[in-house]
Amino acid sequence: MRNPRLNMFLVGVILCSVSLLYLGLSGIECPPKNSGHRYSWVDPHLGHINQSQAFPIYYGEDTPLIFIGGFPRSGTTLMRAMLDAHNAVRCGEETRVIPRLLAMRATWSRSARERVRLDEAGVTDQVLDSAVRAFLLEVIVGHGEPALRLCNKDPFALKSLSYLASIFPKAKFVLMLRDGRATVHSMISRKVTISGFDLTSYRDCLTKWSRAVEGMYSQCQGSPEGSCLPVRYEQLVLHPEEEMRKLLHFLGLPWDQAVLHHEELIGKAGGVSLSKVERSTDQVMNPVNTDALSKWVGHIPSDVMKEMSDIAPMLARLGYDPRANPPDYTQPGPLLQSFNYTQLIINLGIRFKRSME
Amino acid sequence: MRMSPRQWLLILLTLCGLYTLTQFFRMVQPCNLEKPVVSVVVHGQRVGANTSLVFVGGVPRSGTTLMRVMLDAHPGVRCGEETRVVPRMLSQRNTWAREAMGVSMEVLDRAVTAFLLGVIAGHGEPAPLLCNKDPFSLKSTLYLAKIFPNSKFLLMLRDGRASVHSMISRHVTIGGFDLSSYRDCLEKWSRTTNTMLAQCTQVGRERCMAVKYEQLVLQPRTTLKKVLAFLGQPWHEAVLHHEDTIGQPGGPSLSRMERSTDQVIRPVNLDALSRWVDYIPPDVKRDMEAIAPMLRKLGYDPMANPPNYGHPDPQVFNNTQRVHLGDYRTPVHLKIKSLASFDKDGH
Repeated sequence: MRNPRLNMFLVGVILCSVSLLYLGLSGIECPPKNSGHRYSWVDPHLGHINQSQAFPIYYGEDTPLIFIGGFPRSGTTLMRAMLDAHNAVRCGEETRVIPRLLAMRATWSRSARERVRLDEAGVTDQVLDSAVRAFLLEVIVGHGEPALRLCNKDPFALKSLSYLASIFPKAKFVLMLRDGRATVHSMISRKVTISGFDLTSYRDCLTKWSRAVEGMYSQCQGSPEGSCLPVRYEQLVLHPEEEMRKLLHFLGLPWDQAVLHHEELIGKAGGVSLSKVERSTDQVMNPVNTDALSKWVGHIPSDVMKEMSDIAPMLARLGYDPRANPPDYTQPGPLLQSFNYTQLIINLGIRFKRSME
Repeated sequence: MRMSPRQWLLILLTLCGLYTLTQFFRMVQPCNLEKPVVSVVVHGQRVGANTSLVFVGGVPRSGTTLMRVMLDAHPGVRCGEETRVVPRMLSQRNTWAREAMGVSMEVLDRAVTAFLLGVIAGHGEPAPLLCNKDPFSLKSTLYLAKIFPNSKFLLMLRDGRASVHSMISRHVTIGGFDLSSYRDCLEKWSRTTNTMLAQCTQVGRERCMAVKYEQLVLQPRTTLKKVLAFLGQPWHEAVLHHEDTIGQPGGPSLSRMERSTDQVIRPVNLDALSRWVDYIPPDVKRDMEAIAPMLRKLGYDPMANPPNYGHPDPQVFNNTQRVHLGDYRTPVHLKIKSLASFDKDGH
């Protein structure tokens, strides 16, 4: 008498677990009441609406996207992982396709002859921008979980920072900055290939780092007031709470303690999704730490060290003393404004006038 | 083993419990939202991945512009100029598919679809049937047929010798074609035509129709009747008089930068059919069958110079005479004296 009952109980338990497992794995289809809505993506010029329950119902040119970027190996993954831990934000992995598309778009605008051809074909800047916006939104919205604030991290996307700011006027930009010597050492020692960079030469990499960062930094400075925040990696790992409070205030987001413990939310729903192929994954699985700050010391060839300020002028501009090995990161130098010729001439004029009086 | 009624009751209860549990989970867990069909709104018109679209293409210099201009004359259709960016996006997508990107192919295809819709719908006037003409787009016929399930395709075919003569004599740069060599261009023409025709055949006759340029100019009424029937559009006489509505609302819009503009401002005529005859080098003529096997496959006799393409409709014959009398000169606003500094590039 016991046995048949036990059997049935076991059968019941097995059935239960199998169905729960199936549901968990396959994801659950939405209850029928949702299919009553007509899903459509719409925007005033050309764009998208997504009628989903708790999340924004409108994705278009006014979407307050967050773009994180900067030179690779500058803490971009750490930054996006910490933001992912925030309950209202989702960045997700590098898409890799967004910088490619932005580069294509830049090529089409660069040649005057091509611009004329496109205009003649009715493919005006406005049409292209709408189409690019539609593409970017599909990628950003589609490649991860929904969230109140969507975010994207592709380091070199910020080479088109000004363009992104023009097509998404409400977007915010987070430009990660780091001591170029640390960045380049990380690239070279971990063999992270970046097209155009010669991983056998610190000199080549530092020169190119300086040029690339200057481009992104000046676009950040030139973007509308309050839309771009440069963040120094060293400050982020030395004073994470202070930096994150500043950042979340800049982004208009409430404080969420979880951003200081992103490592606890890895792989969880609403948390941090990591890529198996990205180079920083093994590092961001750990809590924020200062291990990587000065690993570069002793690895830069001495001839490069001697000419450091000429090779990488952006070091000084970003407040990193080119002659200090390493600088004291707890005493950061100021971030200098980009060189403003107008201001210089005005200043010279004032000085001249004063000297005449 | 016999089961007592009590045991049956227990089974029933378990099943009920299971059902309740699953319904509970459905309500509580975030569900997988089914993604909406990709769509955009332009000029007050919603255009989506499910919208009926027409793609016109083929090897350049095969009458693609003539076809799209004649369709543009139809009030229900709008193709517009070559967008130039559509084929580039299609080709990039292939590159991205080969190198793993950080997003799934599904998301990538949605993004590509959104981009293409934005360009196709945005670069011209709205119309019940939107159309796009970028010759090399039909190298991606299969892909376009997939992402736009209600799309149709018009593949323009032409005697390769005529196409090649046209690109060489007019210096129309086309990627991959060496304009200094009839042999090279004919080989490439044959290969490209084969690729496009194979995909056209694969999507099927309901979705892809191959149209011969020679038939279009010799018998425009008959040919266009078939084309419009294929597209599900009613007949309209305006398609036989495209030259009358150029630049007008609802009519064909021309680009001053496109290489066929000076030709399509004229009515359909026979001038371009056999211009190529004396220009093919003798060694190429001799090896023609081997160089361009698609000639015979398409029904053009590789040894005939020229083949008999057919007999012209009297209206076309008249048009040709009027063109010769100088009736159709390129209007000033379509000439590009100031843009003449641009080289002879067409593509």
